[in-house]
Amino acid sequence: MATTSLWDNYQADKAYDEMIDTQGNARPLCATLGQYLQTLDSDALKGRRSAADAAILEMGITFTVYSDKGNIDRAWPFDIIPRLIEYQEWKKIEAGLKQRLKALNCFINDVYNEQSIIKDGLLPAELIHSSSNFRKECIGMQPKFGSWANICGSDLVRAGDGTMYVLEDNLRVPSGVSYMIENRVITKRVFPELLQNLNIMPVDAYPMKLLEMLLSLAPRPESTPQIAVLTPGIFNSAYFEHAFLAQQMGVELVEGCDLVVKADDCVYMRTIKGLEKVDVIYRRIDDLFLDPEVFHKDSMLGVKGLMRAWKAGNVALANAPGAGVADDKVIYAYVPEMIRYYLNEEPIIPNVPTYLCGEPDQLDYVLTHLSELVVKPANESGGYGMLIGPHASKKELKEFHKLIQQNPRNYIAQPTLALSTCPTLCNDKPEPRHIDLRPFILQGEHSFVTAGGLTRVALRAGSLVVNSSQGGGSKDTWIINTEQ
Amino acid sequence: MLSRSAERLYWLARQLERTENTARLISVTMNLIYDLPYGTEVGWRNLLTICGVEDAFNKSLKTPTEQHIIHFLLVDVENPSSLLSSLSFARENSRITRELMPDEAWEQVNEMYLYATNNIDLLSGRRGRMLFLQEIMRGCQRFTGFMAGTMSHNDSYRFICLGRNIERADMTTRIMDSGTVLLAEDRNNLTREYESILWINVLKSLSALLMYRKQVRQHIKGKDVLNFLLKNPDFPSSVKHCLHEISHSCIAKLPNSAALAEQIHVLEEQLLAVDMTATTPLELHKTLDGLQTEFNILHGKIAETWFFNNLTE
Repeated sequence: MATTSLWDNYQADKAYDEMIDTQGNARPLCATLGQYLQTLDSDALKGRRSAADAAILEMGITFTVYSDKGNIDRAWPFDIIPRLIEYQEWKKIEAGLKQRLKALNCFINDVYNEQSIIKDGLLPAELIHSSSNFRKECIGMQPKFGSWANICGSDLVRAGDGTMYVLEDNLRVPSGVSYMIENRVITKRVFPELLQNLNIMPVDAYPMKLLEMLLSLAPRPESTPQIAVLTPGIFNSAYFEHAFLAQQMGVELVEGCDLVVKADDCVYMRTIKGLEKVDVIYRRIDDLFLDPEVFHKDSMLGVKGLMRAWKAGNVALANAPGAGVADDKVIYAYVPEMIRYYLNEEPIIPNVPTYLCGEPDQLDYVLTHLSELVVKPANESGGYGMLIGPHASKKELKEFHKLIQQNPRNYIAQPTLALSTCPTLCNDKPEPRHIDLRPFILQGEHSFVTAGGLTRVALRAGSLVVNSSQGGGSKDTWIINTEQ
Repeated sequence: MLSRSAERLYWLARQLERTENTARLISVTMNLIYDLPYGTEVGWRNLLTICGVEDAFNKSLKTPTEQHIIHFLLVDVENPSSLLSSLSFARENSRITRELMPDEAWEQVNEMYLYATNNIDLLSGRRGRMLFLQEIMRGCQRFTGFMAGTMSHNDSYRFICLGRNIERADMTTRIMDSGTVLLAEDRNNLTREYESILWINVLKSLSALLMYRKQVRQHIKGKDVLNFLLKNPDFPSSVKHCLHEISHSCIAKLPNSAALAEQIHVLEEQLLAVDMTATTPLELHKTLDGLQTEFNILHGKIAETWFFNNLTE
């Protein structure tokens, strides 16, 4: 690298850095990007960053953080330096993600029907019945194509040895895909000259693929299906995304109050013409708020009778209610087994080694090694309620010791992975920050994986928490084909 | 389309129209007042009347100075029809209907809102205030032009036009009403002396001066102006034109609109029956007041027909 450079003090030796190797050189894949960034000084980088910030404000790309009272309008945190992945590596990951979701769907369908995985002794029945995401109302249901989780966001991390692991699968209402698409739009505005010279895979196919998938779920395929995105409303953290997806697909964005289930067990929406039948609902509301007739009685977000309509086969819900049973960090530990059991294949992407606190011998290990481990509650999302052992105070360790003992089933532990880093602008200089990757996988009649996904970045030095709800940022992700 | 979305779009258009009208009204009034001698019977207070917020302003216990009135009309969030309030309601409505409009529609409204909130400081000086108002008027027009050129003229678009035209007709009657004071028999001599300037001002508040001149090639007279604003079939802000737009471009293709069409037809007949030359200022004021009431009734009918038509199931 050049002599007086912004990069002189860039320390890429603490974890695997996606761009710079331990010698301080750009990895071959990142050579063009590296050279290009070299030509920008601190002021130029600052200029590009302000351009990105302005674009985000104008486009109104927002994200809500629940603790911000009354602020429904926080600008989306975006870092302009992209994260690059080689196409050949990506091909393999893509296959691995499809494989994983296929197995997870087989599992969910099995859980609500024959339960053969339990009968065959691979998974204790107790785990299912104690899962807070198991819905007994769904027993006996068989959604089209055996596909319960139609939209999945899996979190991938690269550890010190360069291997990609699946950290978790989000099968309830995963969000972030709109930001993945908008991040590319912003990058095109900020670095147009750079994108021209690289063979980067486009990311904007997703909304059309999502629409195709939703259409394939329609219960009455003979007519043009009416599709709607069901949102909890403007105060939801991902409202921007709900509106974005509805707009991109050209379908209605509805709230619970726009829908009604009539005596014929069909779902209708209230339109200027009167009531119109709805065939497929991409619901962005948690199971328990979907239908006050069945779940939370006081839910204002849901639609009375929606479960009735779904069970009668008159409306398709994506994801299907109850799909979250596989979105449980204890169940996660069994995914490699599921892949072997249902698909008779070896897992393509490995799991992070996981200790189940519900197993007495593993519990002992966790309790004695708490300061080295990451402990997660089985059913939380958004990075809430986690303990990162090496960064925790004595008091926090003690607290978790107690929490785990009180309810061991509710916790898992994993070794603290040295998440890979990527150069990130901090005070107008690149510094290594830890990242992960959330690709999105669709499964209806066919499977689809986004080209890359949403790269999330922990903005504080050394921090491993990348969740947007915890102040994390994001990057554009480039899948680059170097063979052409 | 969803009833809820229809209602949001309708209000979005009304609020943007109100934003633009407020900006234009203030900008024109500023220009006028700066070169009128003291003693003529127009002033900042007049603006409060036109905007229908005189009572609200009085409750705020502020003295009716230029600064206070301008602040109240432009940026006071306590005033729900201030420019900034209207703009921020419009922004929220366009945010929740962004899936129905081209991307740029939301971006346009959002940009305008960001401009307004970032440049409130400009308003304290007269020069800055002009720039500010100009930018807002241009922003509103960009939105309207953009929608006309890129959005399918579908039901969503019809609700936008509907909202815009109701709001526009309402504003025109308010501005006309403010003019009736200039017809009063007991108006003072100074007012009489500057009469044509004042009528020109009325026309300018609706961007109507040039179009009026092309239509009425005579010395500017109050009753001609009022006649033009009420009955001209071609000028976009005339009450007649707004009603025509509503019945022909907006509701004709919307479902279940027969009763409304009939109601508008009756209203149009009433309009044409007004004989400006035989009307006293007081009668005129009553007529205009009556029209505003009719617009409210029209709004209620619209809501009943499309926004709440099926809430009971």
